[in-house]
Amino acid sequence: MDAHIKKVYVPMTETGFYILLCLREESHGYGIVQKVDELTKGEIRISPGTMYGSLSKMEKDGLIQFVREEEKRKIYRITVLGNQVLDLEMKRIERLYHTMVEVR
Amino acid sequence: MKDTKTEFRFFTVPEWKKEEEYLRQRHKSGWKFVRVTFPGMYHFEKCEPEDVIYQLDYNQEGLAHKEEYVQMFRDCGWEYLQDFVGYSYFKKSALEMNGEEEIFCDDASRLDMMKRVIKGRMLPLLIMFFLVILPNIYIQSRIDSPINHVLTCVFIGLLVAYLTLFGWIGYHYWKYRNSLLH
Repeated sequence: MDAHIKKVYVPMTETGFYILLCLREESHGYGIVQKVDELTKGEIRISPGTMYGSLSKMEKDGLIQFVREEEKRKIYRITVLGNQVLDLEMKRIERLYHTMVEVR
Repeated sequence: MKDTKTEFRFFTVPEWKKEEEYLRQRHKSGWKFVRVTFPGMYHFEKCEPEDVIYQLDYNQEGLAHKEEYVQMFRDCGWEYLQDFVGYSYFKKSALEMNGEEEIFCDDASRLDMMKRVIKGRMLPLLIMFFLVILPNIYIQSRIDSPINHVLTCVFIGLLVAYLTLFGWIGYHYWKYRNSLLH
């Protein structure tokens, strides 16, 4: 993983994290919006401008890849690099969580 | 009674927030935005007053892949209206929202949009600045004839205008960035 990717994506925004998390299964942008809504019980609703910008940026940086198009919706899937970034983030959040619980 | 009207408004490059608010206020007072045409003519139609949120995006990649771009907004309940000088216009009724909604949900993506605007708008200006204005001030000022003196003045005038514009856009960027960070 090169320095640029690390600098931009570690740590990443909550939106970015959820997008990568969801794209471990193939999905289009709106599918991710719905999934995140369900996972967070309506707590996080990703807006379309943010979603579109994030997906194109992540595709350009090779974190996700285009799979196919279905009814004008682009379907994506996470790449090996995307998984590495997600893994780093998960470990960071885990560490954060454990530290928080310890000192609380 | 007339049921359409046109207003001229000029919003400079970084003032899309002002423009969104302007369209929202018009709709609230019973004038529905129909379209905007060059150089800044805003056409309205009389309607029932309603709180409708207008939002502008600036995304050249979206414009290049219009169908799927618009589809994503439509899926999220935003109606696509038109494009105008690089901006795409969307609207959604406040009644259809759960709380407040915008087309961007975090500061990182708001800042990304600001960067796209600056890149899309400043790059052509910078090219003009360095390849046309600066060389011409140098070239014209070296030739000693009345016409070249006039041209020198013209290009110096342009230089001042450009520097003012850069300063203005830079100031807005800085202000916007600060408002997001704090």
